[in-house]
Formats: sequence, C-alpha cells, structure tokens
Amino acid sequence: MEKYDDQLILQMLMNPETQRRAFEACVRQYGEQLYWQVRKIVLTHDDANDVLQNSFLKAWNGLGSFQGESKVFTWLSRIAINESLDFLRRNKQRLAASEVLSTPTGDGSKSGERIVDRLVADPYFDGSETEALLQEAIASLPDVQRTVFQLRYFDEMKYNDISHLLGTSEGALKASYHIAVKKITEFFKARD
Amino acid sequence: MEEEKYIEELVGKRNPFVVPEGYFEQLTDQVMQSLPERRPRAKTVWMRPVFYYAAASVCALFVCAAVWLSWPSSSQQEQKTVAEAVQAVQQQQPDDTFFDEAADYMMLDNQAIYACLSDY
Repeated sequence: MEKYDDQLILQMLMNPETQRRAFEACVRQYGEQLYWQVRKIVLTHDDANDVLQNSFLKAWNGLGSFQGESKVFTWLSRIAINESLDFLRRNKQRLAASEVLSTPTGDGSKSGERIVDRLVADPYFDGSETEALLQEAIASLPDVQRTVFQLRYFDEMKYNDISHLLGTSEGALKASYHIAVKKITEFFKARD
Repeated sequence: MEEEKYIEELVGKRNPFVVPEGYFEQLTDQVMQSLPERRPRAKTVWMRPVFYYAAASVCALFVCAAVWLSWPSSSQQEQKTVAEAVQAVQQQQPDDTFFDEAADYMMLDNQAIYACLSDY
C-alpha cells in the first residue's frame, strides 16, 4: 500500500478478507506516534513496548466493535492511552510518585527520586536531570491531568482533538491542563 | 500562561526519550507476528431484532387464536342459559303454586283477599 488513506483503510478493516492487511497499514502508519504517547506515560522503553503490543492486540481483538465512528488514529490512541494508564495502576508507580506533589517540601521526595534515578540510569533516556524531574512531576499527577499535559505540552495537540481522544469536554481539559501546569511549577519551585 | 513559560524556560519541550536502534523499522513486523489469525466464523443467520419481535408476535397470535377457538364462546353460553330457562318455564304446570306462595309470603288468607276485592 503506497499511500495511506484513512477512509480506504476503514473500509478494508470492516472486510474480513482485507482487515489484516489494513491493520498492518495502521500499525505502520501510527505505530511510532502511538509508541511516543505510551512511552511518555510509562517512561521506560521495555514497558512502552509491552503496552504498545498489548494495545494493538486489544485493537485487533476488538475490531468487530469498531464501527468507524471515530478516526482510526483516535480509536487506536484511546486504546493505547487506556492501556498505559492501566499498566501504571497495576504497577502502582503513580502512587509512589504522587506522594511528591502532595507533600512537595516533605519527605515524600524520597519516593519521587526513585523515578529520577531510574530515568537517569536508563540507557534509553537521553535527558538531563531537570528533564527527568519534569517526568517525575508529570508522573505524580492524576490520570487526566497527566495525559492532558503530555498531549498538550509536548505534542501541542489541540484541546478539540484531546477532547475526542479522552471523551472529556474542552472546558474540563483546559482546567485540568491549567492545574497540571500549576502543580508542576510548584513542584520545581519547592525544589529551588 | 506564565507558569507554562516558566516550565518551558526551565526544562524545554525536547523529547528526552530514545529507542533502541532499528526499533521502529521492526515494530510493524513484531506487532503483526503477535496477532492471532482470525478464525473463520461459523455462518449463522442473524436477523435484525425487529424480525424476532414480529416472529414472536405471530406465534402469540396463533396461541391466542387456538385458545379462543377451543374455548366455548360467551354467546353460546348465553344461548344455552336462555334455552334452559325457557325449558324450565315450559315444564312448569299452570297451577296456583306461585299464587299460593305469594299469598303466604304476604300473610294473606282467602278471607282477606275477598274483603280486599269487595272494596272495589
């Protein structure tokens, strides 16, 4: 398939004869973009790879329930983000990190430092300590704030697109982003 | 937003994550290999729900009709009751049984009746 056509892919996905070929085109087209969405939430490459594989498997198994009511990327992205957040909940990484923001000047920083240390030691993390700290601060946010911040700050996604992705109103998303930015700022100021 | 600028100036927006070399080139094959083959589904004839409702309604109609036909109708019963009443009346003998019963009920004897009649 030379050029990706969302409408054509959608039709092919609905047809059992062509859906595997169409799905492969989707993975090729959106795999990298989805990987980065997942990676920014779960932080490590191995976890991101596992979550991404699971997301595609889930999408493949749930293909019958996808009726093309949203764009293919929106559908895949929604699955990937939910899988990422489920992964975090299972591993309880977020709980440890959230202690940092709830008590920014207290002892809670101890558990947060583990994320920074882990990132700095990660061969697939090429950032400074400040960038690792930002990831730690983001990781400590509640699910919606965290996802909105990642999509808005790094990917510069429009609120309207995020709204379709998360099924939340634009107003609520703007409020979540504003709170997230405020918390992250406080996080850094508390460390100065 | 001032706070957003603060974060941007302090940290920037660079993506600090990297992936193993050649990861994205292999990603599609890796994903596709992990997907199960679709089993051909046994062909089942599914109808739209409205057809199920229609079929159920027709069945219910048949059951009602069967019950109605096997049940003695009310008009037949009425006719039977009237016929029995007529027959009972016809079987009654034209004597003074009813007159005497009525006179006893009203506590009238023959004399009182005659006295009453003589007034007219």
